[in-house]
Amino acid sequence: MRKDRILKPKTGSLLAEIVKNKWTYVLLIPGTVWFIIFAYMPMGGLSLAFKHYNARMGIWGSPWTGFENFSYLFADPAFWASVWRTLWINISKLVITFPVPVLMALFLNEIRMRRFSKVCQTLYTFPYFLSWVVVSGVMINVLSYTGVVNSFLQLLGVDEPINFLGSKSKFVPMLYLTEIWKNSGWSAIVYIAAISGIDMEQYEAADLDGATRWQKIWRITLPNILPTVFVMFILSTGNILTNGFDQVFNLQNAATRDVAEVLDIYIYRVTFQSSTDFGFSTAVSLFRSVVNLILLVMADRLAKVFGGSGLFGEGGKREKRKV
Amino acid sequence: MKKTKAALCLLLALLMAFTFISCSGGEEGQASSSTTTATSTASQGTSSTEVEDPYAETRNISIAVLDYVTDEEFQNPFHQFFKDKFNIEWDYNYVEWASWDEVLRIWINADDLPDVSIWNYNYQDFENYVDQGLLYRFPDDWKERWPNAAMAYEKSPLNLELEERLGGTYIMLRPIYVYNAVTDPIVNQIGVVALRKDWAEAVGFPIKDTYTVEETLEYARLVKEQDPGNVGSALIPLCLDPQNAMFHFVTSQANHAAPETAFYKNEEGVYVWGPAQEEVYEALKIYQDAYREGLLDPEFYLMNDNDKDRFYINGTAAMYQMGGVAEFRQTCDTEIQNNLGLDSDEVVHTAIVLGNDEKYHNIILGSNFWSSLIFSPNITDENFERIMDLIDWTCTQEGQYVCNMGLEGIDWEYDENGEAVSLLGEDTSVYDKYGARIESLYILEDDFAVVNPSIKDEYRERMNYLAQLKLDYGEGEYSDIDWDVEFHSSRNKAQATLQLSQEYANLILQEGDLRTNWEDWVAQKMVVIQPYLDELNSQYGGL
Repeated sequence: MRKDRILKPKTGSLLAEIVKNKWTYVLLIPGTVWFIIFAYMPMGGLSLAFKHYNARMGIWGSPWTGFENFSYLFADPAFWASVWRTLWINISKLVITFPVPVLMALFLNEIRMRRFSKVCQTLYTFPYFLSWVVVSGVMINVLSYTGVVNSFLQLLGVDEPINFLGSKSKFVPMLYLTEIWKNSGWSAIVYIAAISGIDMEQYEAADLDGATRWQKIWRITLPNILPTVFVMFILSTGNILTNGFDQVFNLQNAATRDVAEVLDIYIYRVTFQSSTDFGFSTAVSLFRSVVNLILLVMADRLAKVFGGSGLFGEGGKREKRKV
Repeated sequence: MKKTKAALCLLLALLMAFTFISCSGGEEGQASSSTTTATSTASQGTSSTEVEDPYAETRNISIAVLDYVTDEEFQNPFHQFFKDKFNIEWDYNYVEWASWDEVLRIWINADDLPDVSIWNYNYQDFENYVDQGLLYRFPDDWKERWPNAAMAYEKSPLNLELEERLGGTYIMLRPIYVYNAVTDPIVNQIGVVALRKDWAEAVGFPIKDTYTVEETLEYARLVKEQDPGNVGSALIPLCLDPQNAMFHFVTSQANHAAPETAFYKNEEGVYVWGPAQEEVYEALKIYQDAYREGLLDPEFYLMNDNDKDRFYINGTAAMYQMGGVAEFRQTCDTEIQNNLGLDSDEVVHTAIVLGNDEKYHNIILGSNFWSSLIFSPNITDENFERIMDLIDWTCTQEGQYVCNMGLEGIDWEYDENGEAVSLLGEDTSVYDKYGARIESLYILEDDFAVVNPSIKDEYRERMNYLAQLKLDYGEGEYSDIDWDVEFHSSRNKAQATLQLSQEYANLILQEGDLRTNWEDWVAQKMVVIQPYLDELNSQYGGL
């Protein structure tokens, strides 16, 4: 039997850390390669925001135009309208829909019948695997004038069918509802995983102390999954100007276009529905990414201010391992 | 134990890396197989070196079209005829209507066009692509080498304009009429409605060749009130999606309400924007009143062009914008018979829709084209020549017969008077028999539909008559194409491009006073419209 090697702890030495956890780092390689190829290398294309794109010259050879794309962009009132609309829709969506998967995870965790819990989880997760095209088709069939809901209301004696799909005031709530129906089950998986990682001794101790179920949720489960909740919240905040193209694109129509042109739809329109101008569309995308980054950093800082751990743990402090 | 663990970790990492690489490789492979084509190569069809047959060598030609053809259909005698005649193997790419513009835009900009593609031409992009060398430039002597194709090409005046402006041929706009133009100048197909004749008679509505917008509303009202077809709550008096609603209510009454004609020079020689003119407001008012009165489907904004099928599939619509092509009328006839068991000659009437001033405004005198053919800049000479040979042959009278009627001796034959006679059954069309005919690449079907003996004579005559009526009622209501606007290319123009049918639908669906909403909309849009108008006026303004 070989003696375990004891690494000399060189506090602060990155190399020592890497050597010590070398197999973990090896496992990181595929993911890192993926990020380099598909996330970092394409960032070179962002230079198009400052260029007039010429396909033959390519991204690097196309002539520079300075901030011309941005000056056109900022002069377009439709752009600003779409920015504010996106912020409004996505912030309210975040506030309304974000707690749902947390509650769902708590609910599923409290179901005592294991098989029923599994069935519920499967049912809640299933819609995630439907594309927005399918979901919008379902919504049209369910909510149209001749759809299931209006037909049911008619049976109940409601004479006038309710205009769900063409109503501006109902469009944004429909986004919330469809978002919750489609994605909450999937998002709840993260919290269920976090809950399953809670030390059972805490619950046993609480049982001994006579804690009620509610008290256990409030005092044990929630505090334990709070770091995960914070991380998920921060990550969601970083997508505030990005979320929702598929959803909005498939659910919008001529009647709701006033309230449906979010930033992604605007980008789609200027890229694909008018003359080709990749420099202009890249400028919009870059603007969106910068705003997203600012929001992400702000959320991270705020999370720390309110006692959370932030995206990268305890403010960069590394726990010293006891040897 | 530790060694085993380490080896397992390494193995797992490698496995993940390989999976990732193979997955991404697979996607790339798929993408390239569906889009690539610039590298099409000739397969070895013969080993002989002394080949006299110009088509001895099989050419593998990639093609992107809007028609869906199954693998099974590709084996049918029609496709086989072309494969044999020109010794072509198609590398076929189906492009969906909904993503047509986007897909082609991506292929062109990625320099990954199939050898030949059908493209939705617009000048600004076209000029851009030519500047960047993204489209194939035809050899200077192509018209001499392929005279039939050149003859058809020259039937569209815009082809010649483009050629002159860009100093060569880079595109072939597809002509609507070549041999069988119905009118001179040519009118487009919009503005023809089909209505239920039996219902009209039942409610006492007169059968005429022309109806004003107000008269169509009167018909819709009568049908709605009396429900002569006993359709009940499913009845749609006017079955119009936003695009056709624009034709029916707005462009039928205002000359410059359509995207194609929105920027024009007024009597003072100043460029103005059509949708901001009072006549458009008045047309929108009628549109809104009709909607609020329940004469349109309450959710017409969810409809698309295919929903007009409700007219003959469900029998729930009283009127729809059919389009002035005899083939559409023939389809309507077949479907009415198949779905409703009715003789369409007894229950369908076609007419044109006039403005309430009894003039025909819906006239957009196109340059006799719809869409275009473009070629990859990387196409081989051999492939270009082969595909041009095919196009050239399909532009002959003989080729047109095959493209539109099928195979001689099987699907049609000449009678004793030398007239072509269809051998297909009454309820069968060439489409039913062979599916989409992608080889009919250049001249659009509208041309042959005028003389196609597989379409009932009375339908063809009726459509020709209605086309002539459009011209008669449209006299003085249209002007020549403004080439300055057509060929103007700038970022301001791009930003001023709006989907007007959607904008109009949105406007009439808004709550509140239409005039206030319309004025607000105009003011809001002028922020992007005015810079383009300024540009036009500074460059081409004045009488």
